[in-house]
Amino acid sequence: MSKRRSDWESRPQARFRKWYKEGFLALDNEIIDHLTRTTELPENIEDRLIAQQEEMTSRQHERTLALERLDQYNMLAWARTRGRKAISRLYVILALALGAMMIFFLLETVALMPRFGDPATPGANIVSERYITKGLEETGATNIVAGMILDYRAFDTLGESTVLFIAASAVLILLRIDRNKDGSPVQELIAAESDDRHYEPRNDRILQGSAMILTPIIFLYGIYIILNGHLSPGGGFSGGAIISAGLILYLDAFGFDKAGRFFTYKTFTWVSFFSLSFYALAKAYSFYCGANNLPSGIPLGTPGAILSGGLIMPLNIAVGMVVACTMYIFYALFRKGGL
Amino acid sequence: MLDWLRFILTTGFLISGLIILLTSVIGLYKFDYVLNRMHAAAMGDTLGILFCLIGLTISAPDIWVALKLLLIIAFLWFASPVSSHLIARLEVTINPHWQQLPPKENAGEEEAP
Repeated sequence: MSKRRSDWESRPQARFRKWYKEGFLALDNEIIDHLTRTTELPENIEDRLIAQQEEMTSRQHERTLALERLDQYNMLAWARTRGRKAISRLYVILALALGAMMIFFLLETVALMPRFGDPATPGANIVSERYITKGLEETGATNIVAGMILDYRAFDTLGESTVLFIAASAVLILLRIDRNKDGSPVQELIAAESDDRHYEPRNDRILQGSAMILTPIIFLYGIYIILNGHLSPGGGFSGGAIISAGLILYLDAFGFDKAGRFFTYKTFTWVSFFSLSFYALAKAYSFYCGANNLPSGIPLGTPGAILSGGLIMPLNIAVGMVVACTMYIFYALFRKGGL
Repeated sequence: MLDWLRFILTTGFLISGLIILLTSVIGLYKFDYVLNRMHAAAMGDTLGILFCLIGLTISAPDIWVALKLLLIIAFLWFASPVSSHLIARLEVTINPHWQQLPPKENAGEEEAP
């Protein structure tokens, strides 16, 4: 019999029930505790009242106080025991219902989606057909996505880069701590500098050693992704993010003093300014020529070669520089309020 | 024959890597203390990913893909232990009682607050 019982208890269903009920065991104990206490408290007080008649008035006062407290306790008792139990049950049920609902809706959405490569979808219209058939010929980029975002829809990408630049400027306005007019640091800046990495390991040899090896490799990889953006997946945004990760690693390992030697506000300003203005001017020239049916004079090169794709590679470089500077300056501003 | 050998090796490495990753995830959620949890997470980040990537390297269609995967293994084995070391050093720096056992109050709080 006991073996059968233990067999039943080791079943997953029984174990799930045990797990589900164990959470309420403590609450059950609390309810029992509460019920026993309410019966004992007034009886004790009444016994003492009978025994000591001369202290009647003070005892009476005590008793009323105790009863008041008891009333208050009883008033909140539901919320303390049964209410909490109901709410925790409700949480479990709601969590399960929400999870089931999410799963149901996601599966429903997947089931309603068109088959992969279906020609009858609204997305497969004349525009995407033109991208696929004539993209290589018109843009010179083997990576069709690069050809799309930096040639057909270059205006959109300019907007994205500008949004990044504006976000960085807004964060700069909000978080930057200025110095005094004579160049001496204000109190806030001193506090921020002493607070920066108050507890963190400051000059960690292991981190510095690995950063010395890893940072150049990360930079090289980011540059490769940017320069190869028109040939393989990648491009300015992802390459710029990788370069900024390398910059942040260097900053973490060696601190603001060493990172400030090559990256200051001036660097940020000029790099962003030149990248964005180059982007805007180059694309304005290209749009102007395209709209008026003029020859733009930009050679497309042989598809697949590194120097091909017309303006795509320089535009990738510009976008990558803006992204790298923006992400790095975000990190520096949120950490210390300055470079 | 060689294809079958490759398939078996790939599957074995991938499954053992996934088991180690699962172990590390369970440990990450079961343990209470920072250093224990860091140990569990670091184990998944190094050994589990190493096994998974070795499995993918064996099944790679091209020698260049395999070399790139080996480079990823080298990068992860550089980066992950260093991050674990930084977490451990931060804990040792800010917690003066790190050598004592962690208090049991966390376990009690969840059952009966």
